[in-house]
Amino acid sequence: MTTAVEAWLRRNHFLLRRLHSLSGMIPIGAFLVVHLYTNSLAAWDAHAFDKHVREIHEIPYLPLIELLLIFLPIAFHAAYGVAIAMQGRSNAAQYWWLDNWRYTLQRVTAWIALLFLVLHLLHFRFAHWIGGPEYQATIARGMTPFDLTQWGFVDGTPVAAWLWVTLYSVGLAASVFHFCNGISTFCITWGITVGDRARRRVFAASMLLGAVLLAWGFASLYALTARPKPDLRLPPQPDARPVALSPADGGAS
Amino acid sequence: MNDQAQRTISVRVRRQDRRGSAGYWQTFRIAHQPNMNVISLLQEIAARPVTVEGRHTAPVVYDSNCLENVCGSCSMVINGRARQACNTLVDALLAERPQVEIAPLSKFPVVRDLFVDRSRMFDALKKVRAWIPVDTYGPIGEGPVVAPEDAATRYDLSRCMTCGCCLEVCPQVNHRSEFIGPQAIGQAALFNLHPTGAMNSGPRLEALMEPGGISDCGNAQNCVKACPKQVPLTWAIGKVGRDTTLHAIRRWLMK
Ligand code: SF4
Repeated sequence: MTTAVEAWLRRNHFLLRRLHSLSGMIPIGAFLVVHLYTNSLAAWDAHAFDKHVREIHEIPYLPLIELLLIFLPIAFHAAYGVAIAMQGRSNAAQYWWLDNWRYTLQRVTAWIALLFLVLHLLHFRFAHWIGGPEYQATIARGMTPFDLTQWGFVDGTPVAAWLWVTLYSVGLAASVFHFCNGISTFCITWGITVGDRARRRVFAASMLLGAVLLAWGFASLYALTARPKPDLRLPPQPDARPVALSPADGGAS
Repeated sequence: MNDQAQRTISVRVRRQDRRGSAGYWQTFRIAHQPNMNVISLLQEIAARPVTVEGRHTAPVVYDSNCLENVCGSCSMVINGRARQACNTLVDALLAERPQVEIAPLSKFPVVRDLFVDRSRMFDALKKVRAWIPVDTYGPIGEGPVVAPEDAATRYDLSRCMTCGCCLEVCPQVNHRSEFIGPQAIGQAALFNLHPTGAMNSGPRLEALMEPGGISDCGNAQNCVKACPKQVPLTWAIGKVGRDTTLHAIRRWLMK
């Protein structure tokens, strides 16, 4: 059995390595960008965030999309990546070159991102597995997505909130580095950037993208934890007002 | 030399008596002379193989041949870096730190002391068919005309002397991995760039698509920095990466 699996893995070695590289960009990297974009809305406007999250949850076939474009690719990328990482032996301490440090950091951040991802999924997406709230049910009971997310961070002691923020900061930084550095190694692996200058340029561009993603991530983290809580029940009121107006406001009656 | 004669150099050498036996360190004190290279340090040790403790020992065994950075046989890890003993000057080393430390390449089996068995690289050349097959002894006319730029790129790749420095510094080359190493990929690129050699590019690329081939590269890009012959290894790896990608797609769609 193991030998059959091993033989299959060896026969498809090249394809699997290329798929591992590709899956890091599409769909996983693309998903990371979209995810951080969604989060960034929380920093601008909690209502925009709520609207966007509700829209996402209305996408048809969402569970299937989630499974095929998010969970399975991540599971494959992680499992195969662990196997690859086991074969490397970093020597960045001996050979102090930037690219060599990037090699090491790519693997270190992979481990951090993987660990963070598991915690992040249990914190929000699968919180109900460990006794937490389930998204659809909680929203149905009238909680807004922003509130629900904020609750995930600040419900508890201030120490717990700070631990969450620290954990998310580290996880965010690791995931963004792993993805953005991965863009430049993806380009090398597939033979898109062959020359050194082309590689430097792609690396610079990928780090710029990384700066944007980090800014998005940290801004949303700030909005969801440290910033004074916006009153989310306020806006529906102008519409509701004409109906509820009469007796309470002492207006025209 | 009179006032220089006082000055001595401490040389720490990694020894190993036979294949598979445990290694150990020995330190020697060598009189400093101007313009010494690491080979001349080893020659001085051979002339008087006595450690700092006063123990008489066997001269240090090492591999060397051309003594001018062309043959690739005297690769060693000198002060923590893989390089050729012949073109590493002692005064430059002493400018970095007071002691000279010499160890054998760590990615190859030690035969004795600093002498390692580099045959895995020659096996790798066979695996990627790093030659141009000519199936006749008769005259076959002139070869195809080659653009000067291609010839220049090929010249850069052809300088490889199979020294092993690029494998030594590669984090993907180790006892847990099958990675063939940068040198063989560079040579596959060399022969694929040759108009006649290109006729066999398929088998070369396919050899590099197996486990341990091109896709086991981890993009640390140490090889190109460590290569004493400035072989454009990362360029070659990128080129072979591109060629294998296209080869795989073509093969997939055409059969
Ligand atoms: S490519 Fe350079 S470092 Fe590698 S074996 Fe050839 S000469 Fe040595």
